[in-house]
Amino acid sequence: MTRVNKYTLYETVAPLIGFLASMIILVVIVIIVGESPAKAADAVWKMTFSKTARVATILSTAIPLFLAGIAVAFGFRAGVFNIGVEGQYFFGGFVGAMAGIYLPLPAWLHVPSVVFFAMIGGALWALIPAILKVARGIHEVITTIMFNSIALALVNWLVNGPFSGLAGKGSLEAQTAHIRPTAAFLKLNAGFRALGWDVPDSVYLDYSLIVAMIAGFVVWFVLFRLRVGFDVRAVGTSPDVSLYAGIRVKRIQLGAFLASGALAGLVGLQEVFAIRGFYTYEIASGLGLDGIAIALIGRNSPVGVVFSSLLFAFLKQAGYGLQVYTKVPNSVIYVITGLMILIIVVTNELVSRYIRALRKKEAV
Amino acid sequence: MPTALPLLRMEGITKIFPGVVANDHISLELMAGEILALVGENGAGKSTLMKILYGLYRPDSGEILVRGEKVRIVGPKDAIARGIGMVHQHFMLVPPFSVLENIVLGSETSTLGVLSSAKPSAEIAMLMENNNLRVELQAKVEELPVGLQQRVEILKILYRGAEILIFDEPTAVLTPQESDELFKTFRRMRDQGKGIIFISHKLDEVLDIADRITVIRRGKVIRTLLRAEATKPLIAELMVGKPVLLHVDNPRLEAGETVLKVEGLSELGPSGAPALRELGFEVRAAEIYGIAGVEGNGQSELVKAIAYRMKTSGGTVRLMGREISLLDVRERRELGIAHIPEDRHKYGLLLPYSLADNFTLGSHHKAPYVNGFGVQNRKRIAQAARALIAAFDVRTPSELTPAHALSGGNQQKVIIAREMATKPKLLLANQPTRGVDVGATEFIYKQLVEAKKGGAAVLLVSADLDEIMSLSDRIGVIFKGKIIKEFEREATTKEEVGFYMMGEGK
Repeated sequence: MTRVNKYTLYETVAPLIGFLASMIILVVIVIIVGESPAKAADAVWKMTFSKTARVATILSTAIPLFLAGIAVAFGFRAGVFNIGVEGQYFFGGFVGAMAGIYLPLPAWLHVPSVVFFAMIGGALWALIPAILKVARGIHEVITTIMFNSIALALVNWLVNGPFSGLAGKGSLEAQTAHIRPTAAFLKLNAGFRALGWDVPDSVYLDYSLIVAMIAGFVVWFVLFRLRVGFDVRAVGTSPDVSLYAGIRVKRIQLGAFLASGALAGLVGLQEVFAIRGFYTYEIASGLGLDGIAIALIGRNSPVGVVFSSLLFAFLKQAGYGLQVYTKVPNSVIYVITGLMILIIVVTNELVSRYIRALRKKEAV
Repeated sequence: MPTALPLLRMEGITKIFPGVVANDHISLELMAGEILALVGENGAGKSTLMKILYGLYRPDSGEILVRGEKVRIVGPKDAIARGIGMVHQHFMLVPPFSVLENIVLGSETSTLGVLSSAKPSAEIAMLMENNNLRVELQAKVEELPVGLQQRVEILKILYRGAEILIFDEPTAVLTPQESDELFKTFRRMRDQGKGIIFISHKLDEVLDIADRITVIRRGKVIRTLLRAEATKPLIAELMVGKPVLLHVDNPRLEAGETVLKVEGLSELGPSGAPALRELGFEVRAAEIYGIAGVEGNGQSELVKAIAYRMKTSGGTVRLMGREISLLDVRERRELGIAHIPEDRHKYGLLLPYSLADNFTLGSHHKAPYVNGFGVQNRKRIAQAARALIAAFDVRTPSELTPAHALSGGNQQKVIIAREMATKPKLLLANQPTRGVDVGATEFIYKQLVEAKKGGAAVLLVSADLDEIMSLSDRIGVIFKGKIIKEFEREATTKEEVGFYMMGEGK
């Protein structure tokens, strides 16, 4: 094995250590709660890997998590701390839904259009914090957190007021009108079955999976093959060095911020266009914050984020399993997730220090 | 002297950091009434050793004996209690406090909680008198020049009864005149029977002041020389491990057209006070113009104004007759400005990135490194990197090694190779040899002279007056944001330049 491969191996091992350590802690908690670890393991197994349907559910759950993860990761790569993915997908999802409801287009054009409009919406929601950062130096963590609250309040009002689809119908849950059938994200389940993977119809493996795959590939290609991606990573590593090298730092930060917002706009697509068929401000919240953790564990790389979003999806399912079949409360999963992030971040840091020292010795 | 009990004895000190043996069974002795110089390249282990002595690091093995008694030093407090004091490169002073307050800080005498100043004042006055260390006690430290601040540092440790004094590159921030005064102090303290450990890489100073010289290389004591047997080439060779050419062959050439012309440049510093005041000078093709000055007199602001700052409070910067103040960095680089920044970690290198990426940084947006679609050509980038590694003798396992894995000297070579590869019309070299070893320094000097021979205008900014004197064709002295005097190199001396650096004789 070459030395460089050895380093890559070490880097891969770090998250595994975090995962195993947190599983051990989980077992300890289960015992403290007074449940048998075997029963808990069985509960987790039942909800995650026991059936094809469960595995497919993990994959389905991972789609929005993955999108949130790369949205955050792309920002991080440029040194932009986009905490506003949450607000960006609420607003982006709304703009996409508007395109889905009001644009009369054929299906082949309609589906790409709603994707496009959702991205525009997400980018628009990132625009003001981005400009404030670049032009006035106001830290994006503060502005994007504010903008999350504003987005929620705004879509709440839009859905209750001007764009309510329930005028005179007397339902309590505010929602928009239904999207046109041409914009619906259809399921790919039949296709998977044709390929020999027996996914039942109840699971949502829809167009958003394709969107996620394309988005993941594009992000990887931009970051690691294009010159502009090099600039993004350089700015994220050191704005000072980049400035000295003639990179237009502010332009890159602005662009990366908007790109991160555009990616965030994709997060809500599955729920709006595949699951519900309309937009409501009650679409799943908290994915933006999950995205931060997912990007962190995935080391801000698209490939890493594939794994970390699958891991998060697995944990969510495992939590349901514990909830349903044992005395262990679902919230334990949140504790475990938090601990795991902590352990992985610490081991990551230790491993990179170790590698740095080894390389130094090698270079002397 | 060998019969007397040494004041300090360090024996078999070993300190291992993950992956690096910083100190490998180092032993040394310091007698009372002796000045011991500790020399070695950067990263040789001098600082680690002194931090162990001062209690900042714990050794993995080895012992420390003070006056023959074995001691365990767990923190600076222990060190001070044993009579060990250290003057750091970066002063540990409270700027808004007075000199007196700074000296007594931490060991104040008080009566019923009321600070007394009469007793310490008398004591300090004695110390000043005996050690050639006069400072006004009521002055605020922030108002004092660096040389006097250093005196405060020394008084601070003397006041605590230090018998063993460690100085970490004390002359780095001083003018030659201030250094001379410091050495007078050293001699006074030696005559009183104190022991001084003096870390430096300026060999002239070491030969001037030290009684014995201990050379450290890669964590080991290579040899300890008596003053009588030491010569400059010998020390340099012991430090580097091979003979070093200390002389730079730097012929004066026929200077060409004016490349850089700075006129009436004014700029505010970070604090809002003027950092540059109507500064002006010009640099011609095929000459090295050296900016001499004590640090903090506007050098950083000057370099920034030429290299990248878009707005200045006033004045013009012209390159080949063209005003560049409103151009961004990329446009300036396109016009032929190359830049060796003063802090290579902060401004020069993407440390986690491969050498290949670092070698092409700044040209990475152009063909042949990207194609028409903006896709990087990794092959060409790697090729260019390999060529530069070979041409500039950068010691690295491969072009894929991250920049942070290299030694300081090799990192600096990467930057210089990159900047030279752009065939600049104007080369800005800001503190180009700071923190690099003797071997790399020699290399860097050669490269600057190469650039000049190639017809480039070179602007050299350095706090090291020897460097300025040996490389520059013309010298401008910067003082409080203004070039107050210009010299032809042949027509001046180090002392004369140093005189102007202190703002005298204006």
